[in-house]
Parts: sequence; structure tokens; C-alpha cells
Amino acid sequence: MKLRNTLAASTALLALAGVASAETMKIGITQNNVGVDSYQTTYEKAFIAAAEANADVEAVVLDAGGDVARQIAQMEDLIQQEVDAIIIWPTNGEAVIPAVRKAKQAGIPVIVTNSNIAEAGFDFVASFSGPDNITQGARSAEIMCDKFKEMGIENEAQVVHITGQPGYTTAIERAKGFEDRLPEVCPDVTVVDTQPGDWNREKSQQVMEAFLVKYDDIDGVYAGDDNMGVGALNAAKAAGREGIIFVGATNFAVGYEAMAAGDYWGSIYQSPVDDAEAALKTAIDVLEGKDVPFLNYFDTPKITQDNMADFTKPVF
Amino acid sequence: MSDASRNASDLREGIMATLSRQQVGAILARQGILIAFAVFMIAFTLANPKFLTPDNVLSVVRSSAIIGVMALGVTFVVISGNLDLSVGSMMSFSTIVVLDLHDKMGPLLAIPAMFAMTLCLGAFIGFLVGYLRLNSLIVTLGMLSAIHGLTLTYSGGQNMDIADKEGTWFSIFGQGTALGIPVPILIFVALAALLGLALAKTPFGRKVYAVGGNGTAATFSGIPRARTVFTCYLISAACVATAGLIQASRSLGSQNTVGQGLELEVLAAVILGGASLLGGSGTIFKTVIGVLILGFIQNGLLLVGLQFYVQFVVTWVIIILAVWLDIAAKRGKLWSPIA
Repeated sequence: MKLRNTLAASTALLALAGVASAETMKIGITQNNVGVDSYQTTYEKAFIAAAEANADVEAVVLDAGGDVARQIAQMEDLIQQEVDAIIIWPTNGEAVIPAVRKAKQAGIPVIVTNSNIAEAGFDFVASFSGPDNITQGARSAEIMCDKFKEMGIENEAQVVHITGQPGYTTAIERAKGFEDRLPEVCPDVTVVDTQPGDWNREKSQQVMEAFLVKYDDIDGVYAGDDNMGVGALNAAKAAGREGIIFVGATNFAVGYEAMAAGDYWGSIYQSPVDDAEAALKTAIDVLEGKDVPFLNYFDTPKITQDNMADFTKPVF
Repeated sequence: MSDASRNASDLREGIMATLSRQQVGAILARQGILIAFAVFMIAFTLANPKFLTPDNVLSVVRSSAIIGVMALGVTFVVISGNLDLSVGSMMSFSTIVVLDLHDKMGPLLAIPAMFAMTLCLGAFIGFLVGYLRLNSLIVTLGMLSAIHGLTLTYSGGQNMDIADKEGTWFSIFGQGTALGIPVPILIFVALAALLGLALAKTPFGRKVYAVGGNGTAATFSGIPRARTVFTCYLISAACVATAGLIQASRSLGSQNTVGQGLELEVLAAVILGGASLLGGSGTIFKTVIGVLILGFIQNGLLLVGLQFYVQFVVTWVIIILAVWLDIAAKRGKLWSPIA
């Protein structure tokens, strides 16, 4: 009898606690690999700041360190902790699907941030919050085409393309966006070669050196991010080849500086702060029962030498 | 002509042929990897005439200099019978540190400070492998990850960039030229000459071979095994610091993953040069050839315009072909049922 009373009392207490916490939303996040690059580091800081600024949110911030197994374990921990929603930055778009399904079965909505999981897992995801990489690629093509038209070489220009690491969704989508859009806006511009720079400035510089040897006439370079774009720029500078139009994506501080110096034409402005805030807002909207689109993109505008004054220099 | 004299001249010709075949065999056996190198160079030049232009050759050698400098140090470690898998993340560390210190204390102090910090890492590994006799594979694999973590902690995960890129003389190590030759190449050549002499002509060099060839015998012959191994890791760390300096100077800014994965390319170059993973054999000259083969393959495939998914495969097919050619030349035949 005594035992039953105690049990009843503790159950009541738990229920009370449950009611109390219903006011605040407990949102767990498992990130991909904080610290490996400035984008992810800034993202985490911005996420924590945004969560602290919102009195209704209690955040559980975890990082998988790039390890799929650890991320799956973290998903299970968050399910055990009975958080209200889980945000995941997938370490691997395929391998995390079972863990995402488990969360969904436990009644916890999952929001995918930054890079989406594979299509097989879409049924278990409440919403994806992140950049639209295909649009980014398309916008880079437009930036480049507009510049060629301004220069009057849209009928003859030759472009080389340096992609991100082969096999990465972001790399594939940006490349697709660019290569689909360019012929629509500038049908007479040719992409003469495509090689991967593996998101690495040094590798990209080597690739560009080889391009400069191979092609006597290069009018434009499209790189999958500014880090690689600046690597290509360094190669062109070292070879004394001038007048090449460099367009990247994910505007980095180095890209911004090169634009300020007049060496680099344009990029896509993607802020990790916007990315983190959009993920948190998507999670809150889902919990509040608002109508959230499945693909909830945040805007990543074009930035060129002409309008760069409207943007603050990226912190990464 | 009489039958007798014809027989005599046949005999003489036969002897000549045998001699020259032996001579050719001996040359082949010693320089199999050089021949492989020449074959690839000719093949790539035929595929794209721009391959062998001075501009391209200089740019390939300059790009290879970073891996090359690291490979020189690793050659010592490998000959001493050990491995060094930490050089990639150690290079990231050196690069990030020197870039960070450049803006804080100026290049003149930043460079020695970075060298000192990198040498500390090398000394630590050398202590674990040399004096404590821990397995070098485990130690350096662990250090690969530990140093990566150290770099991330140091940089707070941020990219490191020099603020004033135009106004610093620090760029000479990576971007400068002297007599029309890029400085990275000069550093690579000078270091190769220096370390090549140290390995081939000094008592220390002979100790490295002895320790790697048969550590126990070396110890009983009074050779300080621990100190020799320790020194090899110090040399490796000094080379890594030099590579980090070139890398930092070349782009004046860096991601903190810049050296990631380079340990395998470095090791591939060393083994391609013919150093035995079991220790006791290898030379600096052949490592340099190994480095150049790797560099020219990557550049050649780019110029040929092969689709890049295929490049990964082709690169390794060529490396294995080169190693096979080298071994076949040593054995004197292409195939042998016994190793």
C-alpha cells in the first residue's frame, strides 16, 4: 500500500513536471562536426545564442564529431531524454535514416538542418531547413552570365568549373544548378572542363594551375565555394593571367576580401547564423503546429563587387 | 670467309650480346623506378604536348614540393623501421600556428616559434616510439587524431588568414622565385641534398640503416637504437614544419584540415621510391623520384582530361604498375612464383 502511494505520488510529480515543461520546448540538436570548419563553429555559436535568447526554448546541444555511429547514439539519447523535437545535421544522409525513423515512431518530430538526408528517409522528417544548393548553383551561373554580358563576351566566353568533393550532395547539387542554368541564360558560353577541388584551397589551386596550362583562353571560373575560388584565383595571379571572372558560392571572409580587392567577382551569401536561426525557428514552428513547408529553405542572396556593401563580412 | 672464322665471329657476337644484356639487366635492376618514371612522362607528353612545357613542369614540381619535403623526413622514419602517419595533421598544425603567430608576433618570431612547437610534437612521438619502444603505427595513428584535435582547439575551428596579405615578406617561401625557379622547389632541392648526404655519407645515416635493418643486431653492436629513432622523428617533424611554412606562405591563409590525408600520399611516394616498409632500405633520391611520379601522374591525368571519378582508379593502377616494374626489374623477370 505504502509502495503504491509512493508510486502514485511520484507519477503525479512526473505529470506535474511534464505540465511545467510543456511551457518550455526542449529541443535537441545533433550536429555533424563542430570545429572542423568555421561555418560549423559559427553555426553552433549562433544556435546556442538563438536558443538562449528564447525563454521558451531549452536546448540540448550535441555534436557527433563527424562520426555516424556517435550521431545515431546521440539520436537515441535524445529520444530517451524525451525532448520535444530533434534537429539533426546528418553526418551521412543514408546511415542516420533508421535513427530518424525511431524518433518519429517515438512521436518526436525531426528537423533536418543544412544538408538533407536521403530521399528514403523523407517520410520520417517533419521539415528540412537549409540552403537550396541547386538555386545557389543557378544563381552563380546568373552572376557569371550577367558579368559576361556586361563585358560583351557572352557569345564566346569559356568557363572552367571546380566542384566540391565528389559524392557530396552539396557539391552535386551546386554543380547541377550551375550547369543547368548557364546554358539557359548564356547559351553560347561553354564549360570547357570540370574537376573537383575537394573543398580544399590548395587542391583547387593545383587544379587551376593545370587548367591554365591546358587552356590558353579562360574567361570565367566557377568554384563550388569561395575557399576553392580563392585557391583558383591564387593560381591565376601566380601565372599572371588577368581578366578572369571568378564566381564562387558560400561567401567566405577570404572571398569577401578578394572581392573588396577587386580580384574576385561574386558569390552566394550563405550565413551560418541564418542557417542556425532558421533551423531553430523551423523546429519551434513545427512544435507550435504551424504549417511548415517540407523543404524550408532560407534565402541565400547573390553577392558581387557591386552590392557587397549591403553585406557584412562573413566571420568564417 | 672460312667456317672457322665465321664461328669465331659468331661467338664474339654472342658474348657481346650476353654482356650487354647483363649490363642492361643490372641497370634495370638499379633504376627500375626511373624507367617507370620515364615511361609515364613519355606517355603523358604524347597525350598532351603541353605536359612537358617548362611552365607546367615547374608548377607540378612546386606543387609537389610540399608533399616532397614531408616525404624526405618520412624516408628516415621508414628506413629506421617505423612509420609516421601523423605528418598530415602535423602539417595542418604547423600551417595554422605559423599563420596565427604571424599576425601576433611578426614573421621573424613566428617561424622559429612554429618550428619549436612542431619539433616538440616530433620529440614526443620520438620518445614514445624510440625510448618507450611503443608500436609506431599505433602511436602515430593516435597522434594523427590528437594533433588534429590540438589544431582545432588552437584555432577554435576557424580558418586562419593573415590580415595584411600584400604587405608581408612572409609570402616568399611559397610564392617567391629566385633565378626563375620557385622558392618551394629550391627549398625542396636543398633539403633533399642535405638529407640525402646525411643519410648516405654520415655515421648517423648508417645507424639509421642499421637500426631499421636489424634493430637487435644494431643494439648489440653498440648503436644507440632509441636515440637514432628519436632523431629520425625529429627530422620528420622539422620537414613537416618546413612543409607547413611553404603551405602557409603559399596561400597566406588556411583551413585547419589542410594536411588531412597527406600522410598516405607521402607514404605512397616513399614506398614508390622503393623504401621497404620493413625498414633498412631506401634512399632520398628514390623518394624524390617517387614524389615526382605522384605529382606528374595527378597533373597528367588532369591535362588528359580524364573524368575525375576514373582518376582515383587510374592513379593507383599507375602506382601499382610502377612498383611492379621496379620489383620485376630487380628480379630480372616479370613474374616469379616465389617472392
